[in-house]
Amino acid sequence: MKLLIIEDEEGLRESIEEYFTEAGNICETAATYSAAISKIEMYSYDCILLDITLPGGNGINILKRLKDNNHQDGVLIISAKNSLDDRLQGLDLGADDYLVKPFHLSELKARVSAIIRRKMYNGSNLLTFNEISIDLQAKTVSVHDKSLKFTRKEFALLIYFIANKGKVVSKNAIAEHLWGDGIDLADNFDFIYSHIKNIRKKLVEAGANDYIQAAYGMGYKFAGQ
Amino acid sequence: MKLITLYNRVNIVTTIAVMLITGIIYYQAISWILIDQADKSLKVEEDEVFDYVKLNKQLPQVFESKDQQISFTSAAPNSVTREFIDTLYKKDKDEVESGRGLISSITVNGKYYKILIVESKVETEDLIQIIFTITFGLILFLLLVLLVANRLILNRLWQPFHAILKEMKLFNITDNKEITQTETRIDEFADLNQAATAMTIRAKHDYKELKTFTENASHELLTPIAVINSKLDTLIQSENFNDRQSKLLNDLYSAVARLSRLNQSLLLLVKIENRLLTDQQTINLKQLIDEMLLQMEDIFADKQITVTARLEDKEISGSRYLIEILLNNLIINAVRHNHAGGEIVIDLTTAALTIKNTGADEPLDVDKIFTRFHKSAQSDGSGLGLTISKQICQSLNFSLTYRYSKPYHTFCMFF
Repeated sequence: MKLLIIEDEEGLRESIEEYFTEAGNICETAATYSAAISKIEMYSYDCILLDITLPGGNGINILKRLKDNNHQDGVLIISAKNSLDDRLQGLDLGADDYLVKPFHLSELKARVSAIIRRKMYNGSNLLTFNEISIDLQAKTVSVHDKSLKFTRKEFALLIYFIANKGKVVSKNAIAEHLWGDGIDLADNFDFIYSHIKNIRKKLVEAGANDYIQAAYGMGYKFAGQ
Repeated sequence: MKLITLYNRVNIVTTIAVMLITGIIYYQAISWILIDQADKSLKVEEDEVFDYVKLNKQLPQVFESKDQQISFTSAAPNSVTREFIDTLYKKDKDEVESGRGLISSITVNGKYYKILIVESKVETEDLIQIIFTITFGLILFLLLVLLVANRLILNRLWQPFHAILKEMKLFNITDNKEITQTETRIDEFADLNQAATAMTIRAKHDYKELKTFTENASHELLTPIAVINSKLDTLIQSENFNDRQSKLLNDLYSAVARLSRLNQSLLLLVKIENRLLTDQQTINLKQLIDEMLLQMEDIFADKQITVTARLEDKEISGSRYLIEILLNNLIINAVRHNHAGGEIVIDLTTAALTIKNTGADEPLDVDKIFTRFHKSAQSDGSGLGLTISKQICQSLNFSLTYRYSKPYHTFCMFF
């Protein structure tokens, strides 16, 4: 898929670009308001990652421009401003999602995947990964057409892993994804472990490959192509 | 004690004292003058007797006068000393008045007589009494006038002071409202008013600066935190790490997460205090708490905490975002300060939400738990959770209280 990263902070822009490029996506970047405008005028993207505060202008205006010209690009706002007004303003104007800085790249990837899924497979809610198929609407998981019982969190975690397949996802990122960033019980992530153990067990017992690997004690990786 | 009470007390006591002292002096002076008068008239009478005796060589005839009596009695030679005395004046048989007398002596034809001249003092005393009554009445009247005047005038005079005081009491640094000017012609109060207004403007200005600074600093801080976080995410993709390296990376992750949460909490506090989150929604608390408990069940299970929830339906109106944070903070607080195998009891009635948890065997410091950055030694939180909860409660006009009764630490929120 083709992404446009509009972000003026070089370090962050590079990280995002690298994270998405490695997963086989095409990424273009814009560091200023005017650069962003000329890119969106010329090309179309599957998803645009849009920072609000930019040199030379406000990201919200870029969003307005996209919507005024009826561009179909998905838009994910990434901003350090997390006031409710900013969120609502962005979403009201037609952004698909809003992510507050700082975020984990895996969270960003999951959000982008969700937007693209909604855009690309319009109507279809089926997500397949090799022998695993997931019905996003009904929230069911099946392997080789055999339906599995997943809890809400296990389901969310599996989707998260698939969106970040091939990437090491940190335990912090998983905890924040599942429990929200309001929960700062960072001293103990044992409960993540039990969720992952359950997912692996259910998938393997149903005849799927064991895709989830522990990665150097700091996180997990959903391996496989 | 009120200023007016103290003032009245001092005023009345001094007035009475001064009046009494002057009254006594006045009385003494008048008495002295009148007695001197009486003595002079007695002396005139004595002189008349002496003159009469010198001329006639015999004692004058004693006659009844209306207010003067003279009597002569023979006495041993030279036994009488001349003196003025206070005595009684027999008006009628059984009517006695106070009187002033002069005892003197005279020798007539070789015979020694004691002379006693007595004058009635009734009129003098009447005069003194009248003067005294008038004076006393004057004192009473004066006191009464003073009291009433103090009550009325002072109360009115102090009106601006009370108005200014009320304004100052109502003053809230986070409000956008200025304190209103109180009209007054009295210089002192006008000064006070000016000083108060200037002070509040200065305080507001400083507060605003600080607030802007906090917000800006917070926003600026978020960007590098975001960079660090994303770089860490990128770094862990790269290669295999040994245990030591992964431990370091984990610590970095935790520190960054903590930093970002701290930053968010600070920003949130600024926003709540400035009432920047004002969206109103009707929220079913029971539903919200049920959802949260479901969301956190792994955390409870991990710490082997038993959660008992007795929830009645209760709807409140406020910002959903804030109420979620409030409940989240309180529940997480109950988990964090619990011990493995502990207990959390949540009671929701239409009047209050009570969250009880087991934990340390001693009460927390009630005065400090709601202050910023106060946390117990074991706590790994930011020390802002309860402060934020308290602030949210305040913004919703709820009260949040803490109490400890063994073995439960109880936070209670009254709607």
